[in-house]
Amino acid sequence: MTETSALNMIDVQIQWNRLISMMDEADISLLHSAFSTVVSDSRDYAVILLDSQARSIAQAQICVPAFTCSLPAAARTMLQEFPLDTLRPGDVLFTNDPWICHGHLPDFYVIVPIFHHDRVVAFYAGAAHVSDVGGRIDELTARDVYEEGIRIPPVKIYEAGVPNATAFKVLRANTRYPRLVLGDLGALIGAGDVVARRCREFEDDYGTGAIDRIAAEILTRSETAMRDAITALPDGDYPAAIDVDGHKTPTHIALTVKIRGDAITLDYAGSSPQRADASINCVTNVTHAHSMFAIKCLLVRDIPNNEGLFRPLRTEAPVGSILNAQFPAPVRGRSMTSYHLHSAIFEAFAPLLPDGVQAGSGSFWWVSCVGKDSEGDPYVLHVLPNGGVGATYDMDGHSVMAFPGNGTFTPAEIIEHRSPLLVVERSLRADSGGAGRYRGGLGQTIRLRTHGNLSARMTLRPDKLTHPSRGICGGEPGARGEVWLDGEPLALEPFVLQPGEELTLNLPGGGGFGAPDARPQYDIARDIRHGYVSEGAAVDTYGLARRAH
Amino acid sequence: MRGDTISGTGYRLGFDVGGTFTDFALVNETTGALRLGKCLTTPDDPSRGVASGLLQLLADTGIGAGELSVAIHATTLITNALIERKGAVTALIATAGFRDTLEMGTEVRYDNYELSLPMPSPLVPRHRRFDISERIDAAGRVLVPLDTEQLRAVARGLAADKVEAVAIVFLHSFINPAHELLAEQILREELPDVQISRSSLIAPEIREFERSSTTAANAYVQPIVRRYLDKAAGILGDSGFTRRMQIMLSSGGVAGADLVKAQPIRMLESGPAAGVLAAIHFSHRLDLPDLITFDMGGTTAKVGLIKDNKARKANLFEFGRVARMTRGSGLPVKVPIIELIEIGAGGGSIATTDKMGLLQVGPASAGSVPGPSCYGLGGELPTVTDANLYLGYLNPEYFLGGQIQLSKAAAIRALSTLGERTGLTAAQVARGMFRIVNQNMMAACKVHVAEQGEDPQKFYLFAFGGAGPIHAWELARQLGMKGVIIPPAAGAGSALGLVVSPVSFDCSRSLPRRLDRLAWPEVQAVLDSMLAETAGVLQAAGLSPDQIASAAISYQMDLRHSGQGRELTVELPADLIASGSLQGIAQAFYAAHQDRFGHAHPDLVPELITCRVSVSTMAINPPTPPAPAIAGSAASPAPKAIRDAYFPEVDAIVTTPVYERAHLSIGMRFSGPAIIEERECTIVVGPSARIEVHPTLSLFVTLT
Repeated sequence: MTETSALNMIDVQIQWNRLISMMDEADISLLHSAFSTVVSDSRDYAVILLDSQARSIAQAQICVPAFTCSLPAAARTMLQEFPLDTLRPGDVLFTNDPWICHGHLPDFYVIVPIFHHDRVVAFYAGAAHVSDVGGRIDELTARDVYEEGIRIPPVKIYEAGVPNATAFKVLRANTRYPRLVLGDLGALIGAGDVVARRCREFEDDYGTGAIDRIAAEILTRSETAMRDAITALPDGDYPAAIDVDGHKTPTHIALTVKIRGDAITLDYAGSSPQRADASINCVTNVTHAHSMFAIKCLLVRDIPNNEGLFRPLRTEAPVGSILNAQFPAPVRGRSMTSYHLHSAIFEAFAPLLPDGVQAGSGSFWWVSCVGKDSEGDPYVLHVLPNGGVGATYDMDGHSVMAFPGNGTFTPAEIIEHRSPLLVVERSLRADSGGAGRYRGGLGQTIRLRTHGNLSARMTLRPDKLTHPSRGICGGEPGARGEVWLDGEPLALEPFVLQPGEELTLNLPGGGGFGAPDARPQYDIARDIRHGYVSEGAAVDTYGLARRAH
Repeated sequence: MRGDTISGTGYRLGFDVGGTFTDFALVNETTGALRLGKCLTTPDDPSRGVASGLLQLLADTGIGAGELSVAIHATTLITNALIERKGAVTALIATAGFRDTLEMGTEVRYDNYELSLPMPSPLVPRHRRFDISERIDAAGRVLVPLDTEQLRAVARGLAADKVEAVAIVFLHSFINPAHELLAEQILREELPDVQISRSSLIAPEIREFERSSTTAANAYVQPIVRRYLDKAAGILGDSGFTRRMQIMLSSGGVAGADLVKAQPIRMLESGPAAGVLAAIHFSHRLDLPDLITFDMGGTTAKVGLIKDNKARKANLFEFGRVARMTRGSGLPVKVPIIELIEIGAGGGSIATTDKMGLLQVGPASAGSVPGPSCYGLGGELPTVTDANLYLGYLNPEYFLGGQIQLSKAAAIRALSTLGERTGLTAAQVARGMFRIVNQNMMAACKVHVAEQGEDPQKFYLFAFGGAGPIHAWELARQLGMKGVIIPPAAGAGSALGLVVSPVSFDCSRSLPRRLDRLAWPEVQAVLDSMLAETAGVLQAAGLSPDQIASAAISYQMDLRHSGQGRELTVELPADLIASGSLQGIAQAFYAAHQDRFGHAHPDLVPELITCRVSVSTMAINPPTPPAPAIAGSAASPAPKAIRDAYFPEVDAIVTTPVYERAHLSIGMRFSGPAIIEERECTIVVGPSARIEVHPTLSLFVTLT
């Protein structure tokens, strides 16, 4: 290798790290200045750097992985409408169209061209899940996307630094919580200032066009790494099929992983058709993004996220299926479908890469609560509790942890401070982890009441009530989720929690990995000592008594 | 400063028990003359090393322990106990329904893609966590009284299990601690020999997981800290010391031993805090109120910011990260602490290649065993120290004053082995490693400084630690900083900071309420209770009522826009607090939010979350010892040797003079390139540098 290319290799590393740390800086800015708990606690947002051709090259290390594929795609679509040569410094492009963005209206996307010396050197792309976009109160029963709230096509929400008053007026008029929504939008756009400043410094330090030069390196090297990982796998078709809760009737997800040389096609032919009576449809952006997340976890988990990784991969789903829903399908609760795709992918790969896969996980539920507090002021609260994570070939699943999303649970003290809810219990749910050589993580039990004489309007979106987190490689499924109101199973319509009533949420556990009878005695004994597994369950699922005598 | 005759009446003694070395500093309160001492730490019983090192230092200086006016102590004991899980058998008493809060944590994964994600296990296992029937609501009203019989029954079980420490964490106890106080009283009756930590004392702030984690950590280390401090005090007493021992806190103040026995978690990061205090001391001496501190050792580097002679404080720290340095992979503690960012970059950081064939340096470290390859102790992987040796920065004969003979051949072997995998020569690997480790530190430094709304270009870099002065010049040059300052004895740890540290204490209480629903007397009551607590701490540290009355008080509040998810800590001037103006506080918040994030929303009412008070006496400023005369007119030092060294600024190997630091005298000025050696560290400055020896014997290094 020549001296020049050798130095390049080190320069690449240095410049790449610098881009990621720029995005970490933007991430901190957004996290700290955001308004809603959806952004600040549930971390449902992403900040990504695109090169001048709108290809994603770096993102903050902790932000939602799925956005990394859909943000650049959305940017390119918006640039067709607002061509590069018409953009001016201070312009901010915006849309929430599910078919352009991330499959449902609450995901707001902004794209900001970053100018330096009169040319666009990069784009900042930000996405955040805002608290409300109007539409029906319930989460899952819309019949089309029009019922789900306001849809803003690509617009310049800032034009040369001047806010688009009309667009803001329309947004403000169409959300129940304009302060939260516009506050989050402001924070999302504000984070772009940091990125722009850092990009200009980068170009000054490494010369004009430096971002595009490092982009080419990042994309090519990442693509090569992914192709190398795929090449190491045997060619063939690897099928998997799973059924998940859906809404009222289950959803079937059929998948064939087609490995050919250094490329993979994920073919979802045979999956359920799109629904006209439930908001659980996925647009292709979402199907692709969630599939890519799972593939990255499987094959190249330690390479920083960027678009180059996904060039060797294609996702196909039949037009009109639940994974390629056509306008104007209802899509708001698409995660009821998309959050299960990794499970199908891991099952397809299990025979190939048993040490790379994970059993099904119990995340996440959506709980929202609106009403008036004791002073008569309105409040809104969204909390996203998680169940247990699936086990892997070398580790029990973690109890009560996010997967595949990544958000925090709002502390009980904050919930009680902000709303009339009283959290009576939040504890590990014994016996909910799927049995296996490695046990699935435990779900949690949350019991809620209201304070004093107050009531609260609740909307719940649980999952895995009928189809539990699946075990893998011989592991057992986790416990199903349960929702109870004063000891009675609860229908999942929005309802008012009345004074004196108690709502119990039993979140699902994760699936186990490997056969339960291979679990060592001391692990079972420890589980019993800690109360993760009851003695009765240990006898039933692990044959403890039989083996002990 | 070393070697000066120490004479006079009173002396301040500082001793810092670090991972490898125990450092001592002894300063004469009248003349300012300073003596340093160093001995190996004795990990099995650190007090043994303290005893032998102290006796040696006293013997060397001819000072009697009776002449010491104060002895100030810092130690890594707590960090080690937490990381190595060598604390006490601990139980947790929680509000019924919440004993699992400690284990469930935040529900967040710190790595999005790792499916087998290591997580720290809770300090208190589930079978020693107990639900007790009681409940207080968010307004502090009792909903369910404490079930004292149930608690007594649990306590009897704890006695049978030989539990040594108990943490009590009830919901909303920061608003109304009545149930925690009652529970503490009952447990003290039932378990007279057990240490009790209650959350309303240890971390009276909203958010139950962080409060539980802090209180559990406090309980977990309390028995060993108590035993250790009693022993250390005994050793000092045996040597003839008659005064009170004081303890360095993570917040950069010192407090009496009794406080630390009750709240040991407050001394978690006492060593690093002392290092920053030394930097503050020099910031006064050098008349440079703003500095960026850079402390690089064997496994990590720490960067901090000093503004107006003050270190920035944080209120949250994460210990025991299981994925090296990754935020979120450790356990949180809510304690006042000098804000430092820690980077997995040190002399022992190992270079490897990733899946794309790119070179990565750290965060994995060879530590002290086996250590860098060049130590010849069995390490075979290339480390930053190996690269530094190869590049000519280190003298193989003079590492730690010659205690360790470095093997250049072993370094080359390790670098070449990695080079073969990547198609690079040993030289290219070494140069690349130097650049990459510097870049990693620069990136972290930039983010940290930017988070505080500052620009590194306005600062000097104050460098210390075993490896800091090697990398400081290159770091400062690339960040475009004003220059580098290397204090005397830069490699000798933090002991100097101990003897110049003020007595101070920080206190917090959550009072979550919208400002428009708050009356000033409620705020004042909270502030008064904190001031009373602080005065008690200062009194226990041996201060007179006059000194306490003249202590500086600063106020902060954590505020947010009503409905916002996170709060911002806002400094509030004393006169604003005195005026009792909630409106003024609102304005201060909007201004701070605008300043930090570029937007504020005056149409939204601010919400108070937590009040903070910090009380500090004046920093101790021993007088500067008289400067030794400049040797004739020789303004330039004579090099003791010549060595080839690589400098990135010219991308070439340069013939570089090597100086002995002890031979540099005040007022000398000379140009780079230069390598300046002292016993515990090596200072590297590039060809474009100017070096000047300041009257404090600090080196000022600036770009020409």
